[in-house]
Amino acid sequence: MSEAAAAIGTGDRSLIARVRDRVPPAIAIEIALILLLLVIGAALSEQFRTLDNLANIYEQASVLLLVSLGQTVVILTGGIDLSFEGNIALTGSILSGQVHGDIDLLMPVIVGVLLIGTVAGLANGGLILLLRVHPLIVTLAIASVLQGAALLYTQRPIGGMPDGFDSLAYGRIWGIPVGSTLVLVGFLIVGLLLKYTRLGRQIFAYGGDPAAARLVGVPVTRVVLFTYGLSGFLASATAIFLVARLGVGNPVNETPLNLSSITPVILGGTMLSGGRGGVVGTLLGVLLLQTLSNLLNFLEVSTFYQWMIQGFIVIAAVASHLDRRRRRA
Amino acid sequence: MSEAVLRRKRPEDANFGYIVERHGLLIFCTVLTVGALIFAPNFGSAANLRNVLISASPLGVVVLGQCLVILVRGFDLSVASVMATAAVIAASFDADNPWSVIPAVLLSLLMAVVVGSINGFLVTRRKVSPFLATLGVMIMLQGLRFAWTKGAPLGLVTKFIRLVGTGTFHGVPINFVFLIVLALIVGFVLRRTTFGRRVYMVGGNPRAAELVGINVDRVIFSCYVLSSVFAAIGGLVLVGYVNAVDNWVGRGYELDSIVAAVMGGVALGGGRGTVLGALIGALVLTELFNIVLLLGLPVQVQLIVKGVVILIAVAVYLIAQKTR
Repeated sequence: MSEAAAAIGTGDRSLIARVRDRVPPAIAIEIALILLLLVIGAALSEQFRTLDNLANIYEQASVLLLVSLGQTVVILTGGIDLSFEGNIALTGSILSGQVHGDIDLLMPVIVGVLLIGTVAGLANGGLILLLRVHPLIVTLAIASVLQGAALLYTQRPIGGMPDGFDSLAYGRIWGIPVGSTLVLVGFLIVGLLLKYTRLGRQIFAYGGDPAAARLVGVPVTRVVLFTYGLSGFLASATAIFLVARLGVGNPVNETPLNLSSITPVILGGTMLSGGRGGVVGTLLGVLLLQTLSNLLNFLEVSTFYQWMIQGFIVIAAVASHLDRRRRRA
Repeated sequence: MSEAVLRRKRPEDANFGYIVERHGLLIFCTVLTVGALIFAPNFGSAANLRNVLISASPLGVVVLGQCLVILVRGFDLSVASVMATAAVIAASFDADNPWSVIPAVLLSLLMAVVVGSINGFLVTRRKVSPFLATLGVMIMLQGLRFAWTKGAPLGLVTKFIRLVGTGTFHGVPINFVFLIVLALIVGFVLRRTTFGRRVYMVGGNPRAAELVGINVDRVIFSCYVLSSVFAAIGGLVLVGYVNAVDNWVGRGYELDSIVAAVMGGVALGGGRGTVLGALIGALVLTELFNIVLLLGLPVQVQLIVKGVVILIAVAVYLIAQKTR
């Protein structure tokens, strides 16, 4: 018995060493924390450890997955996009307001809304290139314009969606949530694009060192426009998912989506300075946060404390990332 | 700014860019005011002008702090949250007891020092990007505040705070006088003291500042603490004006204060700009909001104006810099 244990022990150690070489530490920590939360949750609550609850966690992750996917790509270029809340307020309101329960209008309005979101994103990118100021300022300014436009359009939730539209948020096939799976496909596409296409590598190159990237001929304009355009597109896609979930678009955001979109990115080890990281870490980050909030809900911790915890996680994650990099340097 | 700009003031430099950078905002302010006097008849009334000053003053106080942080190449996104927290603290004391103003103000300032220290610590010691550090702190503070108030507003503030917020002295709003006093102090410190010179040096070139023996981290740290303190004072002044405490006192002031500072010529790259410029920026922004309302436009247009104005301001300063 002791021999066997020892053999397994050494085997594990070499396995850990091998894994450590392959898996970035941030991702390893995320996986460990998710497992830890699952164990704690399963021990504390009977309802938590059901398969149905796991599906719930996955289902509720769709919105956060979408915004953080856009944010990941933007942060990889060394930028930041704080226009999600404004973008979602406008596109969500227009969606439910224009469709107004009419199924014939659904597809054209969805296309229109995605177009608006993309154009808003392109405006972000274009102005960042043109004005050469911190993306924070440009995206906040655009967010202000979008939010104003949303409130001009309507000041309270209006309109509605045709029956069955909520299946985007709540529909399940063989028990698997449809909406989140669609988003997961989006993650896969963006992940492959970042890893295997020229544009993807150019995004990393530009984020790592914009000046050097420009010198070696990376088409900076195209990279920046694509990044923020994609981010705007994903923001309006988020609005569609939110409308599917709530049944109506709200011109006033009640959740701090701007920060929420950044948290998983940082947890996933994507550097805010740009050029390092990827979508896998973000995906795990979202699942980690969603599991945490699910568990906290079961433990009846109020939303306010959950916000506090989220703010604390951001600060802790950022502080520890930089610490590690400095030690290595 | 004094020496650096004075040295630049040679005849060959007096071109378009120089004029815009130096006087652009004043020109814009004048044009705006004259335009408003013509097109919005009520603008020139004493009551309206007083309103503009009263509502510009809390913003002005916050801008003072924001200006310091931007001068050392940062942002402070937590100002609005600090404002609301100060307001909530002030309202948790007995409003009928005039002496309760002392613990209310002291506790608010203490909270601000703690928050500013966390911001400063994260930015200097942990090298977290200013925007992320202050954003995280903002959300944490927001959660704390909501948990403390259980999501519901608490009550009223004492007479003294209300007086500072709304009172007038021979027709001049007291909060505006208060702002001017604070601004004179900050302006004096920035122009005439070692600390002020260090702020400009650190913002202009941190590496050089470090090489000449300035404790860069300490200067930056101080700026973040001061920013939070000014935000708390601004929050108290604002709550004295609106006289209703809720969890969102000062909502939007984080962007407004940055917009005002940038409009006033405080460079986001750090090291350039003056308190006077930033304050005029705050006045112009408030004036714009006021004009939107006087013209009978919906209040939401203010948001659009804000966004467009900051983009235009940044663009104008960019062009000015290029042509200089």
